Amino acid sequence: MQGKSFFVDLTKCTACRGCQVACKQWKKLPAEETRNWGSFQNPKDLSFITYKLVRMTEAMDGDKFKQWYFFPDQCRHCIYPPCKMVGDMFDDQAILHDEETGAVLFTEATKNLDFEEIRMSCPYDIPRWDEASNLQSKCDMCNDRVQNGLLPACVLSCPTGTMQFGDSDEILEIAKKRLEEVKKYKPNAALTDPNDVRVIFLTSDNPREYFRYAVASADIPKLSRKAALAKAIAPARQVFG
Amino acid sequence: MQINRRNFLKFSAVASSALAFGGLGFNLKPTVAKAELLQLKDAKETTSICCYCSLGCGLIVHTAQSGPNKDRAVNIEGDPDHPINEGSLCAKGASLWQLVENDDRFTKVLYRAPNSDKFEEKTWDWALDQIARRVKDTRDLTFEDKNAMGQVVNRTNGICHTGSAALDTEENWLISSLMRTLGLTYIEHQARI
Amino acid sequence: MTNHYIDLMNSDCILMMGANPAENHPISFKWVMKAKEKGATLLSVDPRFTRTSARSDFFMDMRSGTDIPILGGLIKYILDNNLYFKDYVVNYTNASFLVNPDFGFDDGLFTGYDPETATYDKTTWSFQTDDQGIAKKDPSLQDPNCVFQLMKKHFERYTIDRVNETSGSSKAKLEEFYKTYAATGAPDKSGTIMYAMGWTQHTTGVQIIRAMAMIQLLLGNVGNAGGGVNALRGESNVQGSTDQALLFHIIPAYMPAPRSNLESLEAYNATTPKSPDPKSANWWQNRPKYIASLLKAMYPDQDPAVSYSYLPKLDPGQNCSWLVLFDHMNQGKFRGYFAWGQNPAASGADSQKTRDGLSKLDWLVVANVFDNETASFWKGPGMNPAEVKTEVFILPPAVFCEKEGSVTNSGRWVQWRYAGPKPMGDCITDGAMALELLRRIRALYAEEGGAFPDPIMNLNTKDVADPTKKFPHDFDSKRVAKLLNGYFVKDVKIGDTTYKAGTQVPSFAMLQDDGSTACGNWVYSGAWTEAGNNMARRDKTQTEMQANIGLFPNWSWAWPVNRRVAYNRASCDPQGKPYAPHKAVIEWDGSKWVGDVPDGGWAPGEKHPFIMTAEGYARLFGPGLADGPFPEHFEAMECPFEEHPFSSRLHNPTALEFTGEAVKRAVCDPRYPFVGTTYRVTEHWQSGVLTRWTPWLVESMPQNFVEIDPELGKLRGIESGDKVIVENMRGKIEAVAIVTPRLQPLKAMGQTIHMVGTTWHFGWVHPTDGGDSSNLLTPAVGDPNTFIPETKTFMVNIRKA
Repeated sequence: MQGKSFFVDLTKCTACRGCQVACKQWKKLPAEETRNWGSFQNPKDLSFITYKLVRMTEAMDGDKFKQWYFFPDQCRHCIYPPCKMVGDMFDDQAILHDEETGAVLFTEATKNLDFEEIRMSCPYDIPRWDEASNLQSKCDMCNDRVQNGLLPACVLSCPTGTMQFGDSDEILEIAKKRLEEVKKYKPNAALTDPNDVRVIFLTSDNPREYFRYAVASADIPKLSRKAALAKAIAPARQVFG
Repeated sequence: MQINRRNFLKFSAVASSALAFGGLGFNLKPTVAKAELLQLKDAKETTSICCYCSLGCGLIVHTAQSGPNKDRAVNIEGDPDHPINEGSLCAKGASLWQLVENDDRFTKVLYRAPNSDKFEEKTWDWALDQIARRVKDTRDLTFEDKNAMGQVVNRTNGICHTGSAALDTEENWLISSLMRTLGLTYIEHQARI
Repeated sequence: MTNHYIDLMNSDCILMMGANPAENHPISFKWVMKAKEKGATLLSVDPRFTRTSARSDFFMDMRSGTDIPILGGLIKYILDNNLYFKDYVVNYTNASFLVNPDFGFDDGLFTGYDPETATYDKTTWSFQTDDQGIAKKDPSLQDPNCVFQLMKKHFERYTIDRVNETSGSSKAKLEEFYKTYAATGAPDKSGTIMYAMGWTQHTTGVQIIRAMAMIQLLLGNVGNAGGGVNALRGESNVQGSTDQALLFHIIPAYMPAPRSNLESLEAYNATTPKSPDPKSANWWQNRPKYIASLLKAMYPDQDPAVSYSYLPKLDPGQNCSWLVLFDHMNQGKFRGYFAWGQNPAASGADSQKTRDGLSKLDWLVVANVFDNETASFWKGPGMNPAEVKTEVFILPPAVFCEKEGSVTNSGRWVQWRYAGPKPMGDCITDGAMALELLRRIRALYAEEGGAFPDPIMNLNTKDVADPTKKFPHDFDSKRVAKLLNGYFVKDVKIGDTTYKAGTQVPSFAMLQDDGSTACGNWVYSGAWTEAGNNMARRDKTQTEMQANIGLFPNWSWAWPVNRRVAYNRASCDPQGKPYAPHKAVIEWDGSKWVGDVPDGGWAPGEKHPFIMTAEGYARLFGPGLADGPFPEHFEAMECPFEEHPFSSRLHNPTALEFTGEAVKRAVCDPRYPFVGTTYRVTEHWQSGVLTRWTPWLVESMPQNFVEIDPELGKLRGIESGDKVIVENMRGKIEAVAIVTPRLQPLKAMGQTIHMVGTTWHFGWVHPTDGGDSSNLLTPAVGDPNTFIPETKTFMVNIRKA
């Protein structure tokens, strides 16, 4: 497979949130006004000005605390991006797919799109919208950096080796190899939709325990008609392993 | 992908051309203005060390050499060559640009008079003269040359000092020497917390 | 740190206790995870499950303040099961030393306690010596008076049942912990400890660390790769600033601050550590060279014998430490105060006392990047500006990357950084402020005369200021750095070599005691030699042996003498063979040491490896401390218990406390039934002066929070997201509740213990809805050795706001 991919090994993530802030730093995105809502996680969700967010979930095993899961959420840069398929129906310059890196890019023409349609089309609930400008935004893989031989800002900032970035074939190999290692002590470990996306997470347990949309959400009823159509033409998704 | 310092150094040179041609073979006008790469063009690159915890992570600081941001930092990220952090940074380290380029910084000397309810802006010249005067007066007034046992102590009892682990070592040597030279014995800092 | 951050990757077992490195030293986890990849076991022991615990192989919860029982139990486990590294213990520690037969311990007290002064007469904490004054030893470790046997006896009481009863940690977890960590006693294995303020901030703080140091010595884990005793310092330059002695009790490079009974330099030098043992390097015997060179650096035109009188003298026993300083300020004993790059009104224990103290000053000088609770104390909660007489001067400093100079990390790497942007607005460097202030004070003395102007007139400015520049650009960190390294004041002949006046000394070995060398800080000798600025080096070349353990000897420079692993001679047997050849630090190749810079170049066996103690051995029995040669458990000064099973002494009998303040403390007070503790998070830093003004960080952690367990939440009707009030006799704070299963109530000594944990990152100045400092709750009581306050264990109540 051509292009670039991320491997996000969640067995190594400490939720230092370097990635979350590095994204804002490189893109000079403004801070959101937030309140502590009884959690370490903030902002509460992705937004028009937050493309990368470390989600933090306290997982229980019955009454017993099991694990504190960290999930650095971002656009998965789908190999066949449903958002683009839907977007193209409105304006084919709104969502671009860089053939070299595989990055899925939102442009200024997203203002010509129906936001709800685009958001609903995303199996990972990524796109966000600015009401005032009608523009949409999300992670762009730091395509400018990548095109110039640099790592995406989030990957550069990652201290523990949780995030790796490189040529898709190599990354997929690394991910599969690592899965085999982790399975030795975490039999439920899985890769999230490894054949469909360019951001592959390794979870040590059921991915849904990390975050509702950690894997493609075919079972979560949120698809619009157009998105369902787009989905139908995309290859089937699966949890690898 | 291996990113090393060598291709980082090349980077600002190629950045502008990549942008000029869109880098992608088509006219890409993304949602958020992509000035990031462009502003690194011709920026001065200096290495530094993070000012937060004690890891000593390496940084690359880009400072604009022209334009509206002249002499201001435009980007701060981890130094990929640094053996401790190898380019990585935590949330605090990744936020350093916003600490430096921050409108809420103290950028003027301020003075609050006794019983006043506000700060007033002052000059360095005024403030340092005033502080020097107070140090001298307090020192002269509270200087103890011999203690109750008649031993020479040569100390100033009326002034104390704390700080600082946030300063450079060379500055700290001077401050440590200055305070002791003034006769202070109550000299403390963050290590005691 | 005895070792350095990259070296963590060499460990077989990393204990994280009294620290939360994933959150507070996040990049250290790069190397922690590297160790894990290579097979190391990660142990997290903490009162709450943290981001560190989430990545560890093992988590054990514990009651705050019971570290000594838990570690004491480990010592007992190691001794009972003969898991100690015998050769190391016999050859390199004082285990075999015979202790004074009059030494004893009974019911929480060592011999020599004086209840009147709450101090010890340490006469009996000494060794039996032979005719030459060298300690008598029993290498078989059988003599009932030898350190080893006394230690065994002392820790007999630290049974797993008693540890479990006191700490609330389960016996199964304790056993697993002990077994796992003790396995690092194998000669080729190494275990390490990462600790921070979770250990220092107790009235037994130093003894907790001592207990761990003893464990490391018993297991042979000091001097080797992946071992050591590693304090994770909290600030980028707290190492460098400590080296420069911004502390009352020392002068630069760890020489004791002069006391009034040592009236002359000669008298000071008469207290230089001595050793009758020819095999002891006793490095501190060189101290007279270091103080003479320091005095020459400070006062270049004076004979050190004269300039010694320029240094202020403390009375014998006088304590000018932080808590005492603010106690005296609160009593109105100071007129002026410099709060330089620090925010005590939020960072110091019992902050209200600090804030009240500030209002009793005539003048206050604050140098800080942003507004903070100290700078604006006069308009803070409960203050009426019209009644506050204190004048306040705010000096705006350049930030770290707007100036050039060095900082020293926890691993003692001294790293040079350069100026990028220009100082913003009217900001200038702190160095420029200090230099100009000195000149203006000097001018006043020159004009008017006054009290003892000599030190002021003589302080060195020629090695501080660049004469070609003017204020505020003339402070020259490069000159100062060269001065810290030291130079020859006149031509000096050492051996066959004559060193020219004005040239840099190659290392502290060339410093002289006669005023012919100037050196601002002997441990920095070697940082800027004739070869140039070694701190700025960016060369990653290393030998295969060095690369194997990640030494990077040509990247920056580490004190002392670029040694990366301290006490590294102890990583080899007395013949110079590494105990762990697969990760050797140094090795004797028959004629010289290779690898790291050894702790002295003597041949193997020629000198004892612990060169900084007078006797040359590491101290399992530590006769120098204020509260005893062995660690002993005491409850925090505020606790929910009237007794504990180790002795009838509830608290550390030598803890630092202030007259009249016992009324502000809660022991078994039903109004304050929960154990309070304070800590930090990744997203903020210390009292938050920098991070609370950084919008991206405020976004990620916008307000102070209080973590409680779900049972306590139910008990008090508190749910996550609720506003709560935490209070005690010293103050109260408002914060947002996080009710989390990561905290669990513990059963200890018949009680159910709930903990209330909160950060100390916030303050009333900014953000306005962030909450005030949790140090309003913490007590001004301190460890008797370091005088660090007990902010990790205290009592509070919590209720819904």
